[in-house]
Amino acid sequence: MNIALLSQVVEALPDPVAVFDAQLRLVTLNSAFVEENKRYLAITFKAGDSLLRLCDAAPHVRGEALEHWQRALSGERFTLVVPFGDPPLHYKISYSPLYNGDDTVHVMMIIRNVQQETEARRNERFFRSVLENLPVGLQEFTPDGWHRNMNTAQRHILGEDHPANNGPYNVFEDGFNRRTGLTALLDEVKQRKGPVKKEMLLRYSEIHDENVTRIQPLYYDVTGFPVLDLQGEIAYLFIILSEITEKKLAVLSLEKSERLLYTIVEHLPVGYIQFDNFGFIRRVNQTQRRFFASTGLEEQPDSNLIQDPFARLFELDQLFMQVLQKGKMIRLEKKLEFQVHNNGGKTDREVFLDLTMFPVEDPVDKDQIVVALVNDITEKKRQELENVKTHEFLLQTGEIGKIGGWEVDMTTRQMRWGAQTYKIHELPPFTHMTYEKSLSFFTEESRNRVELAVTACMQRGKAFDLQITVNTARNNVLQCRIIGKPEYRNGRMVRIYGVIQDVTEQYKIRNQLTRNAELMRLFFDTIDMGYAVMDKDGKVNFINRKAQEIVDHGKVIGRNIFEVFPTLVGSTFHARVQQCMMLQAPVSFSNYLPATDKWYEFLLAPMQDGNISIFTRNITDSKKMQRELRKANEQLSSLNKYLVNQNKQLEDFAHITSHNLRAPIANLKALMQIMNDTDGEQEKELYRGMFQEVIKNIDETLNDLIEVVQIRKDLNVERERLVFSERLQKVRDILFVDIETSGIELITDFSEAPYIEYPRIYLDSILQNLLTNAIKYRATDRKPSLKLQSRMVDGGVMLTAEDNGMGIDMERYGAKLFGFRKTFHKNKDAKGIGLFITKSQIEAMGGSIHAESQPGAGTKFIITFSPE
Amino acid sequence: MKPLRSIFIVDDDPIHQQITEIMLDRLRVTNDVKKFSDAQDVLDHIRLHIAEPASLPDIILLDLNMPVMDGWEFLEAFSAVRGTLPKPVKVYVLTSSIDERDRQRVGMFDFVEGYLTKPLTNDIILSLAR
Repeated sequence: MNIALLSQVVEALPDPVAVFDAQLRLVTLNSAFVEENKRYLAITFKAGDSLLRLCDAAPHVRGEALEHWQRALSGERFTLVVPFGDPPLHYKISYSPLYNGDDTVHVMMIIRNVQQETEARRNERFFRSVLENLPVGLQEFTPDGWHRNMNTAQRHILGEDHPANNGPYNVFEDGFNRRTGLTALLDEVKQRKGPVKKEMLLRYSEIHDENVTRIQPLYYDVTGFPVLDLQGEIAYLFIILSEITEKKLAVLSLEKSERLLYTIVEHLPVGYIQFDNFGFIRRVNQTQRRFFASTGLEEQPDSNLIQDPFARLFELDQLFMQVLQKGKMIRLEKKLEFQVHNNGGKTDREVFLDLTMFPVEDPVDKDQIVVALVNDITEKKRQELENVKTHEFLLQTGEIGKIGGWEVDMTTRQMRWGAQTYKIHELPPFTHMTYEKSLSFFTEESRNRVELAVTACMQRGKAFDLQITVNTARNNVLQCRIIGKPEYRNGRMVRIYGVIQDVTEQYKIRNQLTRNAELMRLFFDTIDMGYAVMDKDGKVNFINRKAQEIVDHGKVIGRNIFEVFPTLVGSTFHARVQQCMMLQAPVSFSNYLPATDKWYEFLLAPMQDGNISIFTRNITDSKKMQRELRKANEQLSSLNKYLVNQNKQLEDFAHITSHNLRAPIANLKALMQIMNDTDGEQEKELYRGMFQEVIKNIDETLNDLIEVVQIRKDLNVERERLVFSERLQKVRDILFVDIETSGIELITDFSEAPYIEYPRIYLDSILQNLLTNAIKYRATDRKPSLKLQSRMVDGGVMLTAEDNGMGIDMERYGAKLFGFRKTFHKNKDAKGIGLFITKSQIEAMGGSIHAESQPGAGTKFIITFSPE
Repeated sequence: MKPLRSIFIVDDDPIHQQITEIMLDRLRVTNDVKKFSDAQDVLDHIRLHIAEPASLPDIILLDLNMPVMDGWEFLEAFSAVRGTLPKPVKVYVLTSSIDERDRQRVGMFDFVEGYLTKPLTNDIILSLAR
């Protein structure tokens, strides 16, 4: 064996290597071997040294080492890990026998320090067991979400039947995770490459409680985190689940009770202000906000009681300090006066507060806080003051109202009077008084009545209220009202007591009033006009004879008019009464009362005392007169219209004669002249022909005129019931040839108004003219059509005739459309008479005709027959 | 010898046209008479020959009542083109109407030379020719 070559090979190896022979002498060794032993065993080896030096340095491995060396020298190749030293270092030692021919001579020992690997492996085992036994769930995924591992706790959380326990499972593909938010959490982890923590409700647990099974939500803190490889890419994804249900439920329940408390505080009917220990307002409830919004005690971050001038003005700062320092509750009433801004103005407001302030220790941060309960007792206070006033007023009333008290003791027959009673009787106060003596002040008539009443009261307990005449001690005569009532004790009458009131003034006034009312009644009864007074609700307080006659219904005074006559509710009368009340101004109107078939004129006048005066007058006669007058007026106006129409017709005729008769006559005159001026027989013959032409012309014009005149004159031409479809058929028969030649299509709809009362000749003529017009003025580029339709409009028949003919420029010719001998087309047949006659026939019967048209777009004639 | 006048008769009554032409002819007032039964045709003719004095009339005898375009409409339209004509054209209204309102209305058109009522007489025709 070439030792030199071997030495070089050995030296080249990175691990410590030594070659020894059968005598355990080192044949060759590399510097790594030397270094290793030097460092850990403080032995410096060199070639030729015995390996036994190793055993000297570490005697506890001697036996083992000798055994291994012998095995290797016997030709076995093996590797083992040996702990060495204290604390032990682990070495992996490989023995390789080196053969030289058949004899084993050398062994190569390669030593590798595997301490780190050993430790790592042990650590891994350790951590695995730690992780496995962690009380929190731990689960490992590939970056794609494939499940790799989980610990016991996680298995428990997921449950044995979770798919991750039974085959491949991808956390991203599980829909459940999307709902819980786990998917989103892991996505975030992947995106951020860092840990993400969230609370999740992952499942529910059933809690069996005797016979009740409750479902409880289980909350978890879920932490996801990535494990990155050396390149910084995600190698694994982990999630840690720790159950926080109890904590969560505790938080929820705390929130709930906090909310509840907040709601209670918020809705307390008393104002609630909570200050922190620096005097800052931390909470104000709605009552406080509502009632005291304008006091400046607002829930503002910088609203401090100690600094707030308003709070200081009412010494709230002092109260606060007192409560805080003494730790005691304070309750007091306070009066605040301040100005409220509203609608741009200022109102002085006076508020009484029942203020309770007490300290509370904040249960969490142990701070002292102060709570103020504020009750608005302004109304209560106001009532108290009112009561005091009322009481005072009552005391004064005796004085002003001249009311005095009295009582008769039934056992002693003693009479006691109040101070005012003495005053009324004009006696000095405390004069001794008996029942009998008191009676002596009354006139005889009054005395009798009082005695009877008192007897009745004593015997039957009957209370009394009498008007009596009193002669005072100073001999003044007074009108008094005496009221008495019995009082019982143990079922026995013990006294009669009551008041006496001097009503002389009122009596006088009432007398006066009664007299006035009588006068008024006399006055109102004599006037020829109904007069009544009623209050705003309709109760009749006064009604005179005339009005009584008008209503003609027993006794109405003192009753509500709307109850006596229910039909009046919602009537014109009712509405006007309300109007009068509302406007507080007189209202007049006339109204027809069907019950009496009469018209009445009403004047309602509001009175100062809130009542309404009603004056009413029968105006039936004048109303009837009015109606007749109106009728006469209408007749006059219709006559006028007729005359105007007649005038217009006269004008029409003047025009017609001027234009249409003068023209041919002028021709005749001219012809006569030229005929006279000529001698030529041939010429004369020509003129004679022209004469005939002109005369024929005149004849036609005259015939047309006669026809028209006949129509205009014949106002009483007989009407008969005509069926549109029948009359149209008649006309179609007459115009058969024209209809066929033109190919006009007739569309009819007489369904709504199938017939009309009308002169037959007229209707035939109208229909014939409409149809002739539609044919004559048809458009050449389309199949002509005419639509005839009858309808009922405002009780009369309306006939429309709509063609698709050449139409007419209404702006240009509209005014002449229905004129006599007016034509607008260069049509040889156009004579300009048809529509004139049609118009005459319609107007003669009180109807009207007009047209709607546009050139090229057809014409629509609208005929309104007057209803008869 | 006075120059012969060119006269347009505008009237929808063919008899009247014929009579008027005969009368004008007889009095040798003109040998250039054109007859129109519609004012629109006259207007078209004037517009078409607006630059040819020879084709334009010296006198127009205008009826008032005519279909399509009547004398009134013609007067309105003519008052607009009148100023652009190369020679004076005298317009006479010749109508059977003796209605004073018509006469007054014609008076509103100050270029109308006269309001003549039918029938024409020789005297009137001769006065036109002067």
